[in-house]
Amino acid sequence: MALLQIAEPGQSAKPHQRKLAVGIDLGTTHSLVASVRSGQVETLPNSRGEHLLPSVVRYLADELPQVGIKAQSYLVDDAANTVMSVKRLMGRGIEDVKRLGENMPYLFEACDQGMPLINTVSGLKSPVQVSADILRALVQRGESSLGGELVGAVITVPAYFDDAQRQATKDAAQLAGIQVLRLLNEPTAAAVAYGLEQDQQEQGTIAVFDLGGGTFDISILRMEQGVFEVLATGGDSALGGDDFDHALAEWMRHQRQIPAQLDLAQQRFLLRLARAGKELLSHKQTTQMSFSGWPGGADFADIELTREQMNLLLDPIIDKAIKATKRTLRDAKVTIDGISRIVMVGGSTRSLRVQERVSELFQQPLLTDIDPDRVVALGAARQADVLAGNQSGEELLLLDVLPLSLGLETMGGLVERVIDRNTPIPVARAQEFTTYQDGQTAMAIHVLQGERELVQDCRSLSRFDLRGIPPMAAGAAKIRVTFQVDADGLLEVSARELTSGVAASVQVKPSYGLSDLQIADMIKASWTNVEDDRSARSLREQQVEADRLLEAVTMALAEDAERLLTASEQQAIVTQMEQLVVVRNGQDHHAIAKQIEIMAKASDAYAAMRMDDSIKRALAGKSVDQL
Amino acid sequence: MDISQDFFSCYGLSRDFAIDLDGLRQAHRHLQQQHHPDRFVSQPDSDQRQAVQITAYLNQAYATLIEPLKRGIYLLQLHGMDPLVPTNTSMPLDFLLQQIEQQERLEDMHQAQDPETEMDTMAFELQTQASQLETEFAQAYSSAQFEAAETAVRKLQFIVKLQQQLNTLEGVLLD
Repeated sequence: MALLQIAEPGQSAKPHQRKLAVGIDLGTTHSLVASVRSGQVETLPNSRGEHLLPSVVRYLADELPQVGIKAQSYLVDDAANTVMSVKRLMGRGIEDVKRLGENMPYLFEACDQGMPLINTVSGLKSPVQVSADILRALVQRGESSLGGELVGAVITVPAYFDDAQRQATKDAAQLAGIQVLRLLNEPTAAAVAYGLEQDQQEQGTIAVFDLGGGTFDISILRMEQGVFEVLATGGDSALGGDDFDHALAEWMRHQRQIPAQLDLAQQRFLLRLARAGKELLSHKQTTQMSFSGWPGGADFADIELTREQMNLLLDPIIDKAIKATKRTLRDAKVTIDGISRIVMVGGSTRSLRVQERVSELFQQPLLTDIDPDRVVALGAARQADVLAGNQSGEELLLLDVLPLSLGLETMGGLVERVIDRNTPIPVARAQEFTTYQDGQTAMAIHVLQGERELVQDCRSLSRFDLRGIPPMAAGAAKIRVTFQVDADGLLEVSARELTSGVAASVQVKPSYGLSDLQIADMIKASWTNVEDDRSARSLREQQVEADRLLEAVTMALAEDAERLLTASEQQAIVTQMEQLVVVRNGQDHHAIAKQIEIMAKASDAYAAMRMDDSIKRALAGKSVDQL
Repeated sequence: MDISQDFFSCYGLSRDFAIDLDGLRQAHRHLQQQHHPDRFVSQPDSDQRQAVQITAYLNQAYATLIEPLKRGIYLLQLHGMDPLVPTNTSMPLDFLLQQIEQQERLEDMHQAQDPETEMDTMAFELQTQASQLETEFAQAYSSAQFEAAETAVRKLQFIVKLQQQLNTLEGVLLD
């Protein structure tokens, strides 16, 4: 017999009540919140019926911040306190922001962790805080639309987001008081929105082509019996629909021979004209571009823009996206005819030319039915519904991969990879390292993310020390470093010295280093710089080897050269050492390798003498029984 | 789920080089469905942590078994050998010469008239060599000739390295 059910007012009394969960697309220019209601997935509007929330926050002296359209209207009049495009700052250091931020009107200050802080009338704000304010607005909208408290949210992030950026996004959610059910990759969310996992029989490889205003992402997913796997991601973080507008504006400027030095009002005029023309040409073959109202005094005649002309201007930009797509297909080891579905995401995929070119590349029709601005949020909402436990749970399991390789710094500024890019997560990997010097009692662990061979070209994620290693000969200590990445792609690193058991670990908190652009460039550069990297690596390796040898011989000479060597023997070794120092400081790794060999030979006899000597001394005064 | 058992046992496979890859894929997917951290979102932290550990173990197991080279190395490791730190490092001279030749061929790709075709041909040849070595390994292993199996797997390592280099080169040259 069932017990009497007791419920406080406002508390759920029905045992099978749906748990309220939302999907959030936290975007660079705008954000959305979506949910599954009575079996239907939909984006949630505000009280005025608007679905898209501009990702803009305006801070006021003594009031709560304004978020969205209201804040957006102050972008010009109150530029210093109105923050936009904060997603580009997430997980970034002050140095990157200065580099990115020439046209950002904010006053930045660095805090102690190197995170940039924006100086507003309501105090210093970190990008995490600004994102939290956007998230708070979305959560409120969700709660008032759905009529109850949310159990949590699925928040989407670009597939290429590194550990620091994911961590910053999660921190923002925590600050906004919302439980993150999962950080979900945007392309995966888009595929889920189309319900591609529901064809249980079907197994297929899906391309998600996401062209936004300022970024392009291409992702290759494999779906099999309801399981999604990200095979590879790529793209260009400085490519998007804004480039279309700029190309059209540039063309018009040339047509009317307007000088290149435009003021802000003129730039805006041309861009607005370009955008309007672009939209008109999506259903017309030709349009007149009118310069009436040009903020420059002079009068210019109208320009006729045909669709062919526009296509000529757009094609070089689309070519870049196509090239990146082909590269990513190769990365995923998939051929064009291996792709069964193409999902189009991002406002700029409304461009007919983009659709034509992509369809031509893949030789098949595209999935464009769902609004490309909302598709990511809709997919996130479906996943949130599953994770909140509202569905039986067997259908949808999303498997993700690591976006960038993880590794450690080794001697000479080299990166030793521990987990390769595109490895399915969660994952744990351990690698063993050893000490470099006799008696070394501590080891610095420097965690890096990126595809290049040298530390300086990768992103620094975290540093910590393993201390208390018992003094041993160089190479005798065994230090096992373990990387553990969870389902959200967040990293934890621990180190343990195996003979003594001393251990240290760190939950990787970003030390803030690189911009979006640099991350994309890092991946690109790993392709183009393979040869450079290889010789740079060889050079560093030989230099490390040379240093090791020089140090060992120097120490040995200081200890017992006087006792064991004649002056001329000593001189012969010193000469070779000097020669090694000279080539070691040069650029030729072959020369260093050769000199190492020569020097090793020169000191061989000496090494043998030292060995005999130490044995003799060890045995001195001991009887055979004592050995 | 016991994460100290060997990778073959966790998928219910017998410890052999020849395995049913489709069966492995299915078994892996099934176990993922059961143990993935997403299944434990509303459970206590300790359950979630355990799920991360199990899934990480499964991912490693799958990655090891699905690749012939890794599977071969793993089989020998289970047998107490370590092909990564071989006791006998000498390789047959003709094999080494062939490797030098292939390495040079790779370097000459930069100057090739039609690098795409050249690379395709080489990829095909490498794949053939790899398949042969896999067969060699399988035979040696199943007849308990572990020394011969180790040689085969070490040769395979060379070929896989070349395949990776060729892959990277493709990315550079075909852009």
